[in-house]
Amino acid sequence: MSDSEKASDLDDGTDSARAEEEKAATSGTVDDAASEPDRKAPDERENITTNAEKDDARKIVTGEARYTADYRDRFPDLAHGKVVRSDIAHGHVESVDTSAAEALEGVDAVITPFDDVVPDKLYSSSGQSYPEPSPWDLTVLREHVRFVGDPVAAVVAEDPETADRAARKVDIEYRELDAVFDPEEAFDEDAPQLFEANEVENKQSGADYSRNLESHFEGEIGDVDAAFENAGDRDNARVIETTWETPYQSHCVPEPHTTIAYTDEDDRHVFITSTQVPFHTRRQIAHLFDVPIRDVRVTKPRIGAGFGSKQEMAIEPIAFALHLAAGRPVKLEMTRREEFTALRFRHPMRMRMKTAVTDDGDIEAMDLDTLSNSGAYGTHGMTVANNVGTKPLPLYPRVPNVRFSGDVVHTNLPMGAAMRGYGAPQGHFAVESHMDEVARRLDLDPIEFRLQNAVREGDLDRSVAILKDGDRFTRKIRSCGIRECVRRGKEAIGYDDLEQPEADHLHRGVGMALIAQGSGVAGKELGAAQVKMNEDGSFHLQVGGVDTGTGADTMFSQIAAEVLGCPPEDVVVIAADTDLTPFDYGAYASSTTYISGRAVKNAAEDAKERLLEWGAKLLDEPPEVLDTGDGRVYSRETGNRASLEEIGYEATYGDDQREHILGDGNHSTDESPPPYGAQFVDVTVNEETGEYDLNKLVFAADCGVAINPALVEGQIEGGEHMSLEYATSGGLSFDDDGNPDVLGFRQYGMPRTTDHPEMETILVETHEPTGPFGAKSIAELPTNGVPPALSNAIRDAVGVRLTELPFTADDVKAALDEQAGGER
Amino acid sequence: MSHMQIELELNGETETFEASKADSLLDVLRANGYTGAKRGCDTGACGFCTVHVDGEPVTSCVTPVAKADGASVETIEGLGEQDDLHPVQQAFVDNTALQCGFCIPGMIMRSTALLDENPDPTEQEVREALSDNLCRCTGYKKIVEAVLDAADRLEGERAVATDGGPQDDADGRMLDSGCPPGRCDCSGGEP
Repeated sequence: MSDSEKASDLDDGTDSARAEEEKAATSGTVDDAASEPDRKAPDERENITTNAEKDDARKIVTGEARYTADYRDRFPDLAHGKVVRSDIAHGHVESVDTSAAEALEGVDAVITPFDDVVPDKLYSSSGQSYPEPSPWDLTVLREHVRFVGDPVAAVVAEDPETADRAARKVDIEYRELDAVFDPEEAFDEDAPQLFEANEVENKQSGADYSRNLESHFEGEIGDVDAAFENAGDRDNARVIETTWETPYQSHCVPEPHTTIAYTDEDDRHVFITSTQVPFHTRRQIAHLFDVPIRDVRVTKPRIGAGFGSKQEMAIEPIAFALHLAAGRPVKLEMTRREEFTALRFRHPMRMRMKTAVTDDGDIEAMDLDTLSNSGAYGTHGMTVANNVGTKPLPLYPRVPNVRFSGDVVHTNLPMGAAMRGYGAPQGHFAVESHMDEVARRLDLDPIEFRLQNAVREGDLDRSVAILKDGDRFTRKIRSCGIRECVRRGKEAIGYDDLEQPEADHLHRGVGMALIAQGSGVAGKELGAAQVKMNEDGSFHLQVGGVDTGTGADTMFSQIAAEVLGCPPEDVVVIAADTDLTPFDYGAYASSTTYISGRAVKNAAEDAKERLLEWGAKLLDEPPEVLDTGDGRVYSRETGNRASLEEIGYEATYGDDQREHILGDGNHSTDESPPPYGAQFVDVTVNEETGEYDLNKLVFAADCGVAINPALVEGQIEGGEHMSLEYATSGGLSFDDDGNPDVLGFRQYGMPRTTDHPEMETILVETHEPTGPFGAKSIAELPTNGVPPALSNAIRDAVGVRLTELPFTADDVKAALDEQAGGER
Repeated sequence: MSHMQIELELNGETETFEASKADSLLDVLRANGYTGAKRGCDTGACGFCTVHVDGEPVTSCVTPVAKADGASVETIEGLGEQDDLHPVQQAFVDNTALQCGFCIPGMIMRSTALLDENPDPTEQEVREALSDNLCRCTGYKKIVEAVLDAADRLEGERAVATDGGPQDDADGRMLDSGCPPGRCDCSGGEP
């Protein structure tokens, strides 16, 4: 069974809903959320909205869950790898002296860019669909190094300690080149150039490597310049422009990137690896090392989270080259220092936002421009920068004139890449802080102003259209609970009755940000699954989708169980193994529930058809009157029933024609319905010191129907944690030579238990008709909200606007001093 | 590399391991199949490798194994089993206080140490006790709730025990027999 949907195939008939919403919006009050149409799904669920126990919970709490590094005991002859990295920011490797390292007892091999086992082909490490939109600008080991941390050589030895010692004995001589660290300086004609023409293949728009430009893009709906000119000429409108800046952020992925690579007795190459993208990795390894795809097997055990850092073939090629050199299984495990200096990060950005708006709060034009620092290589460079606009701007889909443009620039700093939110955290910071600032300058309530312009059911979804000049994917929004998110969030944070502290120097304020994300990459997703029945009435579910720790496997079992009419624990999930499971694009872009989950539903429905056929034989009733539930096939007309176990045994061992009951399902679609949310922050600011305390965070989320609400809450609370860090304490810095200042957790400001304020999570249920049982996505949505909501809360408390993340007490104090100076 | 032998009282059993002088306690535990403790930073900064040494929670990645020679070491493997979880483990499961799970063994070992010392902590005390253990997935909310829940569960068991009901053992696990621990050889099965 398969379904491939085009937006045009699904005319949803939301006209009446839209009329009702329009009425609500015209009157412009939040309380009108109550008049939103009833979007809830019919409550016919047994398994979907229960908090089924996470299927790996018991092995996690007993320490038995196996992550890649825990498989070492399966390989008595396992060797250990270590990467030798560049300690200069830009230059060419003149020579590598490996003799001292090779002379150490216990060293199997030392590999360099000049060895035969190391491919010299260009490739992209981005775990994206084929052909990757990201440029092919990497080689496995690098003769031309472009940042402090670039891999130049690697060592493989009998134990980790010997590998470390040998790595320190590899002697590399460089011819140094000038380096550039500022993205605006990188544009200069006389800036050092990172890539020569033969060092990169790039099919993205607007690339110009003579100016270190990896991509330039822009799109426009309407006529933005004319709208600005028009507004500037009128008394009842104005044009407001703001600028915003964000730093690097580390994924702080708990399990460092780890790979075990070996070749089995059938001469097939096997990877046990911490990846979000097993199938993309299989394809990329096959291309890079020129081996058939069928001879590569990529398996994902439990993984210690990814957050996008493992949507990358970041270390697998080095592990495999070391394995080829050593001739025995190799484990390559990154150190925390490598995670903080050499792996992958959220792109730093500078953004400019400009709107034309009437005094009544109607937005006539929006213009967003972003400059993204891609670092030394271009993995996910353009696509992340695209999301800066395409995720938050569609929050306001009725603005007639919209423009979005961006430049993605190389510097001699670490690589930006995919990170949870994928450009949307940067974009929401600019758009949602800007919207708040506009409202305050117009003396409008920031929340009412937002709702006056905000998305409603029936609006066109512009998320893809913005960069296509409006001519593609003009799907409608079919589920939107954003007004209920705002209403309930306001209540929870106490927006209307905030008490000020007694002390004169303390000021309390509340800020809000609207949030949107997607559910998969529109038009670029594929998930697939198979269900096979066991004779005792249980099932095996084989699914390509990747559980990175979120509980996706549990969610899959609940979806299958809902269709098959059995408890979730009767569905054994086998996931994310390129030999054993159907294909899947992988765990990214908030696609797992919406895409892979829908494939599971389709597979289960396919199997259910066979169950009903067998039920019909056993019960002697037509399949049309039968259904599944409570571990049985039952008749809606007579109440007769047969247990799944009876059906399983009869189908497998009966006298009649026998059959293994199977089902298969695909899902691919152009749809990517946005989940919505509202982030609230309650803050108290000390005007004397600039120090601020977060009193409370509230996040209200519309993710459609929340499958396993406890797991959904966990996604929200964890996403807010990352967002809190981004706003208050994260960021990387470098010295004048590009050397990293942050080498580990001790220098990085990851929030601890004691740094977290009270958090309240609210689930607002809507029903997304294209999602499995009405579900949309949740994983990335909550990473977008705290920076703008906190900027807005500080503005509310003390009247100053913070525009650069993270916000320190010194920043607040400096802004307060400037404000006081301006008043004098 | 100089090799040596290390003797540990590991989860109640005397064990002898081969070790190199430079090895950390974490190196030796993981090399010998005790992989519940995770390697997250090798600098004692994340808490994923937390175990108990002589009853105190330590980050085993920065504990030289030589220093632990002869010590009593408790790891996650010595707590409950999947079908007989320790109340702290059960509370983490029931509160969905875990996602990827990489920090959880360390988090649970830190929590049991807290509850041994302070059976009825406030939320703030839980937050302070866990502040050296990082978690990237959960925002800590459900973890703190789980530890508070575990404190209630342990308190409940103690109350039952004082009432003359089933006793709990040193780890706070229920014993079915109702016999006082260590004073009966009925092995906990039959009274």
